[in-house]
Amino acid sequence: MFFFILTNNNSNKMFFLFILFFSTLISISSNSWFGCWIGLEINLLSFIPLISNSKNLLSVETSLKYFLTQSLASINFLFMILIKFSLLKNFDMNNIISIMMNSSLLMKMGSAPFHFWFPNIVEGLSWMNNFMLMTWQKISPMILLSYYFNKNFLIFMIIMNLIIGSLGGLNQTSLRKLLAFSSINNLGWMIFSIMISENLWLFYFLIYSMMIFMMISLFFLMNMYFMNQLFINNMNFFIKMNLLINFLSLGGLPPFMGFMPKWIIINFLLINKFYFLTFIFMMTSLIIIYYYIRIIYSSFMFNYFKMKWMNLFMKNNMFLINLSSFISISSMILSTFIFM
Amino acid sequence: MLIYDIWFLFIYMFFIGNLIFVSKNKHLLVVLLSLEFIVLSIFFFFLVLLMFIDYDMYMLMVFLVFSVCEGSLGLSILVSMIRSHGNDYFQSFSML
Repeated sequence: MFFFILTNNNSNKMFFLFILFFSTLISISSNSWFGCWIGLEINLLSFIPLISNSKNLLSVETSLKYFLTQSLASINFLFMILIKFSLLKNFDMNNIISIMMNSSLLMKMGSAPFHFWFPNIVEGLSWMNNFMLMTWQKISPMILLSYYFNKNFLIFMIIMNLIIGSLGGLNQTSLRKLLAFSSINNLGWMIFSIMISENLWLFYFLIYSMMIFMMISLFFLMNMYFMNQLFINNMNFFIKMNLLINFLSLGGLPPFMGFMPKWIIINFLLINKFYFLTFIFMMTSLIIIYYYIRIIYSSFMFNYFKMKWMNLFMKNNMFLINLSSFISISSMILSTFIFM
Repeated sequence: MLIYDIWFLFIYMFFIGNLIFVSKNKHLLVVLLSLEFIVLSIFFFFLVLLMFIDYDMYMLMVFLVFSVCEGSLGLSILVSMIRSHGNDYFQSFSML
């Protein structure tokens, strides 16, 4: 991300990026709810200049939609903070005010049922902006969610997240929208991990953002935005393997890195007898792995349809690609060696 | 009990502002105006709340600064939309 900004002579982007990082820190480390709101506002103020750079119609529409949804959510959040303050409900997490506050934070994150802006905006952004939107912009709403959440409401929202994230990605051909729906599904896992423990949320979030970073940097290097661009003439075998490994890791298949946080969450679910929720987690993961595999499995067959003629110069990045494959495969095994 | 009737005003203003925000309008400027109306209702609410806490209005000023920043950001997005589309009609969104 930094390298990309430096090569394009965009030093003002670095300024806004710094303020973006700082706003999250303001929001999560504040003593009062008002400070949290200030952090969310600064987040919005600094993210809009990052995404509205070029003068085409698409990027204007994207920044407009992002601004409208996020400003509505943060204004509602502030009103609910004021009502909570005036009614002196600081410790009771089972009322309508906590539902309203959680709803506005869920709208900030792009979680179902407030997710309709998220695939639209992801379609209009470049890959690096998508990476920021999918990873960093989720930190402060989720930590704020962990401070005052309503358990029953959130479990219902988690189920909606999982189902919408899995079923929504079935009919997509754009890679960005596919990753957007996968992000909505992973939001369901992450919100549940908040309710277990914040440490587990941090663990899941770090592994998720590492996996998304590997996928997005691969698509960014190949400059691919749609699924039909994957049918090219001379795709290197290591790129195909890396794509397969990263997709399976994102879906949560066992020997890869992405399985580890899901394993811990499933362990907790089964020990505490959340059987129906476990069933929904499993089935939606199955649908997601289906549409990941359907993208890349045909590239490993002999009669692979090579419909496009592009030359990809990936020789400079082969080390990083192989390194990311290695990390995805071996992280779970190597993590057991830490305690020796 | 008379003092608590004013809360219905705040909730009513807030709710009406939200209603106009989510309604189908022809212009984008109406949406931004409704956002400012919600900010106004929160300003009033904050004012009355802070009057109960010994008239400490500093937080209100900070809130005002941030909402003005947000309003001006909305207007700058409106300007960039007019520069590229030519108008601020919602019907001219065709991409996403």
